[in-house]
Amino acid sequence: MKTAWRQVWGVLRREYVERVKTKGFVFSTIAIPVLMLGMMGLMAFMAVRTEQSQRRLALVDFTGQLGEEVSRRIEAAGYDLEIVDAQVGMEELDRRVVEDEIEAYVVLDDLTLREGAFAYRSRGSPGRIRGALLESIVVETVLERRLSATESAAGVRELLGGGRMSFERLGGEERSEAEEVSGIATGFAGVMILYISMLLYGQFVLRSVLDEKRNRVVEVVISTVTPGRLMLGKILGVGAMGMTQLGIWAACAVLIGLVGVPMLAANLPAEADLSQLVGVLPGVGALGLLLVYFILGFFLYSSLFAAVGAMCSTEEEAQQANFPVIMLLIVPFMLQMFSLEADAFPWMDWAALFPFFSPIMMFPRAASGAAPWWMVGLSLLFMAIALGATAWVAGRIYRVGILMQGKRPTLRELVRWVREA
Amino acid sequence: MAEAAVRLTGVTKSFGAHTAVSDLDLEIPRGAILGLLGPNGSGKTTTIRMMMAILVPDRGTVELFGGFPDFARRSRVGYLPEERGVYEKMKVLEQLVFLGEIRGLDRRLVRKRAMEWLERLELGEWAAKKVQALSKGMQQKVQFIGTVLHNPDLLILDEPFSGLDPINQEVLESIVLEQRERGSTILFSTHLMEQAERLCERVCLISKSRKVLDGNLREIKRRERSGVVAVEFEGDDRWLARLGVTEIERVGYAHHLTLNPRVDGDRILAAAVAEGVRLRRFELLEPTLREIFVRHAGDAAEEPALMAAGGAR
Repeated sequence: MKTAWRQVWGVLRREYVERVKTKGFVFSTIAIPVLMLGMMGLMAFMAVRTEQSQRRLALVDFTGQLGEEVSRRIEAAGYDLEIVDAQVGMEELDRRVVEDEIEAYVVLDDLTLREGAFAYRSRGSPGRIRGALLESIVVETVLERRLSATESAAGVRELLGGGRMSFERLGGEERSEAEEVSGIATGFAGVMILYISMLLYGQFVLRSVLDEKRNRVVEVVISTVTPGRLMLGKILGVGAMGMTQLGIWAACAVLIGLVGVPMLAANLPAEADLSQLVGVLPGVGALGLLLVYFILGFFLYSSLFAAVGAMCSTEEEAQQANFPVIMLLIVPFMLQMFSLEADAFPWMDWAALFPFFSPIMMFPRAASGAAPWWMVGLSLLFMAIALGATAWVAGRIYRVGILMQGKRPTLRELVRWVREA
Repeated sequence: MAEAAVRLTGVTKSFGAHTAVSDLDLEIPRGAILGLLGPNGSGKTTTIRMMMAILVPDRGTVELFGGFPDFARRSRVGYLPEERGVYEKMKVLEQLVFLGEIRGLDRRLVRKRAMEWLERLELGEWAAKKVQALSKGMQQKVQFIGTVLHNPDLLILDEPFSGLDPINQEVLESIVLEQRERGSTILFSTHLMEQAERLCERVCLISKSRKVLDGNLREIKRRERSGVVAVEFEGDDRWLARLGVTEIERVGYAHHLTLNPRVDGDRILAAAVAEGVRLRRFELLEPTLREIFVRHAGDAAEEPALMAAGGAR
């Protein structure tokens, strides 16, 4: 028993140390979050930048009633606006747009007063942010003007501030709105983490098995280490590496939360309420559950990937044999993306009980509170059972496969391996 | 009698229509050094892989140390596969430490021992380099260290010397002999007959998946007399013609006389004395392993294969 664990430990340690030491690991650990944050930052920056860089607008008001109020609001939103006399005429304004003196101009006329319709004339598209802004400014102004006679104007203005839907889930435990938002956000983030890590780290296991088999080191190793121990050590080693990477990322996230957010808060205007942001952060329970789903899911998929690696002899074969297993990951991911939009398919809750789908489909349901606790428990139980069965079958395929050279086995041969191993 | 280190009984292994090993019996007593000889494709590697339980024989039994080659028994073996397998991205010393560790050795102990071996094989300065930075020959030495690191009771070496320069071959040969002094049983395969002749006490010759001959090398040679006598002498050689020997070949200063039923060694010696020839050398020539092999394989077609293989490596 002692040698058994020493061997597993030896394999695990080698797998872990050799992976963590590589430039690839260091690079991906640093690069992936930097890249993701950078992309988000860049997108936000570009959006703001393009919006601000093209801001010279003109306004022609043929109604003689709206111009003043609309221009005040547009300027308040940060645009450089010039009110043009209605006498100037649109031909002249068109010329100025074409010759780049102004970027665009807005035309208000009788139709605006009646229906809130107005023209925006420019060479380029206004973009979504500007479009929505201008529309709301014009419509609000028109509405206010029409309602100004009546007493209820003040109340209506409040209504114009925008609708707010509060959502209350029935039949589950009671949750605050912040908890609700947090649950959905955690679920979404969890799906991404689970999907990417199971796929990525699973591929590491496959590659590791395949390499060992291809360069025949396995023949030496297997002369003393049983295949089961070798496979276990390998999966644990890659898993430990994955946990290290995820841990580093989590630590960074916490650090940003603790240091970055207060710094941001100090520089933000008072009305920005960051306490809401804190409410969105996932709770300890959800994180614990994420860990459980990750561990079970990783082992489940890794044993499959190990078996795939063991039955192939070349990279090309592995890529083909990989496909069904990867589909097993992609299908629940797709289903989950659908059910983000609507809970409309009740059978999806049942699909989430399928052990290979559970990490990706059940975790978000658990995090958002959509699935009752017994269903979550059931999914974990099913996964544990499936893990036992999968490890058994994969272990047998692995045992025969790693010493087998030549053509990839057919399905029938695989069955024989499992039966006879 | 102590159980044999390796015992194969009626072992047969086929791959599809091709029979790689056919009804092979082989016993290696403890402490022996045995060369498994045969041309490429004769079934040497298949035989070895069955000993290591990498392949399962179709028929027959394989025993190591008197029992099924399970993990406990296999961990007493130092195995060098024919295809050189190394973790290319690992550092040399780390790789050896790993190989020792999975055989249940203490990490610190292995590290020390591995370092000693590396120094001895003049690889000390490469210890912290990645294996892939080493030449093929150096990698082979590293792998060889991996097989002896845990002081195995049995060394199974598949073509251990191929691809090495003569100096390194000699170094490895001396280590193999040293391991034997230590009490280890040694089996190695080779297609280089001269090398086997130099190292082995026992040989097993296989050809086309069948065993041709096995046993103690000296006994085999005695049994397989070549029937050629080499004589060197001063003076006239006309007396040779009167002997009744049909084949006489001049090799350097010597004459090689092929004996026949009517003419044996004693007769030649007596004739020489009677003629008053001053004999410098009189030797009953032993056949080389190569000659024995060719004689027993009974197939001249094997010979070019051997020559080619010997020359290429």
